[in-house]
Amino acid sequence: MKQKISQIQKEYLEKIKEAKTLKKLDEIFLALFGKKGELALLPKEFGKLSSDEKRKVSPLFNKVKLELEKEISEKRFAVREASYEKLDREKLDLDKKVEIKKRQGHLHPLTQIEQQTAEIFQKIGFSQFEAPHIDSDYNNFEVLNIPQNHPARDLWDTLYIIPGKLLLRTHTSNAQIRILEQNKPPIRMMNIGRCFRYEAVDARHEHTFEQFELVYVDKNVSMANLQYLSEYLFQAIFGPEIKVRLKPKYYPFVEPGVGVDGLCIFCKGKGCKVCGGLGWLELAGAGMIHPKVLKAGGIDPNIYSGIAWGFGPPRMAMLKFSIEDIRLFNSGDLRFLGGLK
Amino acid sequence: MRVSISWLKELVDLNISIEKLIALLPLRSISIKEANPDSIELDMKGYNRADLLSMRGVAREVVAVTNSKLNLSDEEVDFPNLPKVKVTVENENLCPVYCVAKIENLKVEHSLDTWVKKLSNSGIRSINSVADVTNLIMLEFGQPMHAFDARGVKDEYIIVRRSKNKERITTLDGKTRDLEDDLLITDSLNALGLAGVMGGKDSEITDSTTTILLEAAIFDPVSIRKTAQRHGLPSEAAKRFQHGLTKTNLLQALSAAIKMYEQMGGKLTAITLVGNLEDQPKIVELTQEKVNSLIGVNIPPEQVKDSLQKLGFSMQNQEVTVPYWRLDINIEEDLIEEVARMYGYENIPPQELRGKPPEKVDQIFPNFIYNLKKILADLGLTEIQTYSFYSSKTINDLRFTIYDLIKISNPISSETEYMRDNLWPNLLEVVAKNIKNGFKDIAIFEIGKVYIPQKEDLPKETYRVSISLMNGSDNPMQELYMIACKILNEDPDDSCLNLVPNDLNPLQLFHPKRNFLADYQGKQIGMIAEIHPRLVNKFGVEQRVAVLEVEIEALI
Repeated sequence: MKQKISQIQKEYLEKIKEAKTLKKLDEIFLALFGKKGELALLPKEFGKLSSDEKRKVSPLFNKVKLELEKEISEKRFAVREASYEKLDREKLDLDKKVEIKKRQGHLHPLTQIEQQTAEIFQKIGFSQFEAPHIDSDYNNFEVLNIPQNHPARDLWDTLYIIPGKLLLRTHTSNAQIRILEQNKPPIRMMNIGRCFRYEAVDARHEHTFEQFELVYVDKNVSMANLQYLSEYLFQAIFGPEIKVRLKPKYYPFVEPGVGVDGLCIFCKGKGCKVCGGLGWLELAGAGMIHPKVLKAGGIDPNIYSGIAWGFGPPRMAMLKFSIEDIRLFNSGDLRFLGGLK
Repeated sequence: MRVSISWLKELVDLNISIEKLIALLPLRSISIKEANPDSIELDMKGYNRADLLSMRGVAREVVAVTNSKLNLSDEEVDFPNLPKVKVTVENENLCPVYCVAKIENLKVEHSLDTWVKKLSNSGIRSINSVADVTNLIMLEFGQPMHAFDARGVKDEYIIVRRSKNKERITTLDGKTRDLEDDLLITDSLNALGLAGVMGGKDSEITDSTTTILLEAAIFDPVSIRKTAQRHGLPSEAAKRFQHGLTKTNLLQALSAAIKMYEQMGGKLTAITLVGNLEDQPKIVELTQEKVNSLIGVNIPPEQVKDSLQKLGFSMQNQEVTVPYWRLDINIEEDLIEEVARMYGYENIPPQELRGKPPEKVDQIFPNFIYNLKKILADLGLTEIQTYSFYSSKTINDLRFTIYDLIKISNPISSETEYMRDNLWPNLLEVVAKNIKNGFKDIAIFEIGKVYIPQKEDLPKETYRVSISLMNGSDNPMQELYMIACKILNEDPDDSCLNLVPNDLNPLQLFHPKRNFLADYQGKQIGMIAEIHPRLVNKFGVEQRVAVLEVEIEALI
């Protein structure tokens, strides 16, 4: 047995030394460690040995096994590095015109939902507004009536760059103060984009996700307008039969605060697994912009009122395309992204 | 807040079924997190309704929204003239009210079954008869209480003060904690407890306790929040201190607690009340005009008045007096929300937007991005989105200088620690993942932000487009170049892009001969290159991969 092991060792060390390609090395690896590899089969024969012999053979076997593995891996590295040397001889060669291959392209499902939403609101005079992902604690929280150390901060678990000062925006509402400051009423603006939370990731939670939010300020803006905007969007996305109802909800930067429910698109209100038997799905959060926020934005709350209204495109896409795992959106998994119609 | 259904039924003559109540509460008051046959859990996370952290508050709310009858009245407060427990409050701002009652002649026993059930339905474990009273009172009134064993308090003298340098305490859970600017309850020698958060081991109620010092106090919500967070102790009591307490309610709760102890045979022998014990009545103005214009419905004045009265407000002309338990009501809009929810948000009809739309705003940028996405998808590329972070693998394998990246101070894990300053490394990772999943041809793109630190001001964020191509050939950059020309809408025959060899390649991230800066119409717009096979190999795949990355701004 000892001799057999030594022979394998010698033979294969030689083969590895001579190998010049990765393919050859793969073959050697298989011949040794594959299902019917020479080294892989050996331990089956150990049963026949006396225990004394076994005590001597086992360490040798392990030593040779490790040595060969290491040799192959080092040779692989060497072969690769040698091939990298040859790169210097390669060129770009643009003279040779190649055709662009025919492929089926796809827009990301979130792009589809967001573009559809933007176009729907553009029809009634809303424009897109750009706001940063990295923002001050002031713009993301304090100016929105969410002071430091207020219990309401529990609603947003935050990723900080400088604690208490600079953070990754937790919601698109960081656009609100900019929209109010940079525009005079009537205002119809929307902000779409990435937001971040300190969140353990699972099928329903992501630390990186998209939000949509609109800001509407004018004279006599009311909760009845909020009901209209909610119906307007969700009927455009899910069809005219979708019912929408408002309910109380607390956000520090609106008063009154509003939650927006849509009749469950799966069971049409009867109650099912998706809606937890309730018949309704919470689709959006909204409210009448808090007078403190309007004032901070230089707008007189005695003359004007406004609506802030937002929803999560990932959730909407999950409902519309029956996607069950929110992690797929940022996965780059082409089985998912190429599979959606 | 977990609401015990049987307890609620004691406090309210409910005129609708529990099922109907569970359906109604989210439409009138607050979302329900979970309901079971014993209890309803209100979704209080971040919510501002401090009164709903008590059974009494929930009962009042339920009565108002269901038109049921309330089975409770305010507790009579009349404390006898007795000796005082010695108390010193060092900082009135952090502790505006501190009350302590000495009760003797107690016997610690198991609690009555009815108490145990009330507590367990509310999500709290029964401890013993003396400690359970404090929790039952907290649940009913929302006022946290704490009972110290009088033997553990030296000279029965209580001091409320900030912690001193290097001071420590062993809390009820057995942990010894280093203190750091925490508000403490102490005697003349030792800390007895973290004010409002957790009591100390030395003055814990035990089987042999006969005399207690019963504390009812109001502490500064911010100080409590900081202490609870610092020590990782988000207790039921701390939650209530943070949401805010009222003095009227505190006195009622203390009075009710003393009565419960007296019924157990206890004897009140001393009491001290420190601080201003009267709540300031709040009056908020409400106009019919504002009600109608903000809700968008004409609600008759009688209905407005009736709604507010049901919720415990009183209204005279335009002046509305806020009931003492509603700390969340401060401005007219707060009152309008009360009127709206009593009216029923779901009954508000839709109203089209009136008024002239604002002038059109320049939409070149978002339009350009969407059009570019469409062109790329039409060309056969698939749009992906990747995290705004670099994965730990990317950081390690690319050997980026992390000091040049924006760093998250409290990352969830090493996967969310550094923000990307290029898109292509994330695309390479996606290409490798998909090759491993069996894809033989991959053409993907992402349009998204990169984040560049600035010495001052906010970091710079710019949108880029990045394309990655693996077409099975050993020179995918040829096809990628054709795609680039298509995006630029240029004829590929006329060398649409001027490629300037990029000599800067210190980390050998790119192929030594296929690594270019892209010049378009005289300006540099980005880069196009084949990724160095060594780097591709590190991601566990062998195929050749080419990338392009261009500033969107440069294309417009």
